[in-house]
Amino acid sequence: MTDGDAQLVTLQKPGARRALHRVLLHRRDSIGSAYHVLTFESERAIDVEPGQFAMVRSETWGAAPLLPRPMSLLTGGHRPSILIKVVGEGTRRMAVASSGEPFHLLAPLGKPWSKAPEGARPLLVAGGVGVAPLLYLARALSVATVPQAVPIPGAPSALSVSTVPPAAAISGAAGAQAISAASHAGAAQAQRPIALYGGRTSADLPFERELAAVSDMRVSTEDGSRGTKGRVTALLAAALDEAGVHKQSVKVYTCGPHGMMAAVAAMCAERGVACEVSLETPMGCGYGVCLGCPVPRTAGGYLYACTEGPCVDATAIDWGGASGAPSAGGHGR
Amino acid sequence: MSGVDLSVQVGPTTLKNPVLTASGTFGYALEYDDFFDVGELGGICTKGLSLLPRAGNKPDRIAETAAGMLNAIGLANVGVEAFCTEKLPKLRERKVTVIANIFATTIPDFVTLAERLDREEGVTAVELNVSCPNVDKGGLEFGVDPAAAARVTEAVRKATRLPVWVKMSPEAGDLRGVGIACQEAGADALTAINTIRGLSIDVRTWRPRIANKTGGLSGPALKPIALRMVWELSRAVKIPVIGIGGIANAEDAVEFLLAGATAVQVGTASFADPLAAKKTLDGLAAYCAERGLGARDLIGKMAT
Repeated sequence: MTDGDAQLVTLQKPGARRALHRVLLHRRDSIGSAYHVLTFESERAIDVEPGQFAMVRSETWGAAPLLPRPMSLLTGGHRPSILIKVVGEGTRRMAVASSGEPFHLLAPLGKPWSKAPEGARPLLVAGGVGVAPLLYLARALSVATVPQAVPIPGAPSALSVSTVPPAAAISGAAGAQAISAASHAGAAQAQRPIALYGGRTSADLPFERELAAVSDMRVSTEDGSRGTKGRVTALLAAALDEAGVHKQSVKVYTCGPHGMMAAVAAMCAERGVACEVSLETPMGCGYGVCLGCPVPRTAGGYLYACTEGPCVDATAIDWGGASGAPSAGGHGR
Repeated sequence: MSGVDLSVQVGPTTLKNPVLTASGTFGYALEYDDFFDVGELGGICTKGLSLLPRAGNKPDRIAETAAGMLNAIGLANVGVEAFCTEKLPKLRERKVTVIANIFATTIPDFVTLAERLDREEGVTAVELNVSCPNVDKGGLEFGVDPAAAARVTEAVRKATRLPVWVKMSPEAGDLRGVGIACQEAGADALTAINTIRGLSIDVRTWRPRIANKTGGLSGPALKPIALRMVWELSRAVKIPVIGIGGIANAEDAVEFLLAGATAVQVGTASFADPLAAKKTLDGLAAYCAERGLGARDLIGKMAT
């Protein structure tokens, strides 16, 4: 019996952007006890834009866990990486995976973040592990903003959780260019995002330092162990008021628990501020065939988070009808 | 691979090989353009088509279980008209062997669906979904009762020139009885099995993990049951049986052929790996080549 996987590096049809990539775990870095960064080694560069995701599954899993896990990509290229929070069996296995372990990454999937309207400053609202797609966005924006500051990377080495990797090395040219093409030169500094980052405790703020390096960041925790005590939506209310006072236009990008995103969407809708969310739902396939990731639409019916999202305008979602299940913010099971 | 005859005969239809994809796990096949040439497969069974588009069930619709998953999608689909005008022309261009899976809550609607598809070029057969466990009505009740299954089959048989396949429910108390009844009513083949209803509960919230409460179990967990049913059913009927239930690779496919299936459908495995059906086909070709056999030489050859 032949196993096609044995020789498979990446089966990719010419011209296709998505593919099932066979990659090896390059390194795993723990952030506290619940969060891990998995950095993979991919023979073939994966052309990712900020906000896109991968379906991730270890070859060692056999028949269980059965399904791949949807994960926001933190980086693309030859060193794709993900941030995971241990919430179930799949992520528990990922959290103990060793270097060299073979994984399958079906990527890139889904709709990336869209550009901010001209003159609008990006305002990122992250909850816990939902920081992943927003950190990628902030890094891409920082590259787009100060092109002269882009370092020439050598071999893009491992993403270390304690250092900020050169954005050009990790964002993949496409991501940076998509955003930079969008941001007309001249409005350079206006693109440095504001970031509001909330967690339950100080232990729930993975990548706090990395996000701070590419944004003007404010932090909140529910227990007050770091930053302002309370929810991140309180920071958002203040930031939107401030922006209003300065007649500054902003566009909100958010990813986090369902309740948080619903509240962010409501606040933005009230004030007429543009808001884009990265949806979090269970997914079976990630590419539009299992129909397991419906999200109620304002217009009726459902949109599918995997193909019509995950990044989608917040007004398109019927937040009252959407699943209220506890969310890991961009990261399933 | 050249020189290996993988073709099989399913009633009046010759399939170039016995590897198909299962309805509801492969979309309308156009989703695979980035991954492989779907025209290589023996065929694809479309997402279940109804007369009118259906939005499907509320979330959550899926939940993973041990070596399997539960789903209650609720037959979300674009409707037969959109399928014929938007999907089928593209499938014809790609030379895909298309089996149109159809679903209705009444016999006249089944007939209308079959008549509509009968007018189209590029449909190889219709597969009657009389065994969906996840809709309020019209799903299981046709599939678990021999007389009801025969009535649907006979009505569709009279309405179309297309070969008629009937998808069996594992929940029929008398699976062989249902199969024989469909055969007598003119079915060209039987597909076995659909999912088995299951339940999974979230112990934090005490709620069922899918909104429909129960959902159909699929995946490797289902395979031994499916294999046993295919074995029993294929010995009880004269028409071909198409095996389905937890098939993820060539070894699984060979098992089903040995048990008596004439062809197989790869289902849930496509979720984890969009190339699962292609890998199954390539692996089957290699298995046959190594042994100097054709696919037909495996059918029903389990040693007893």
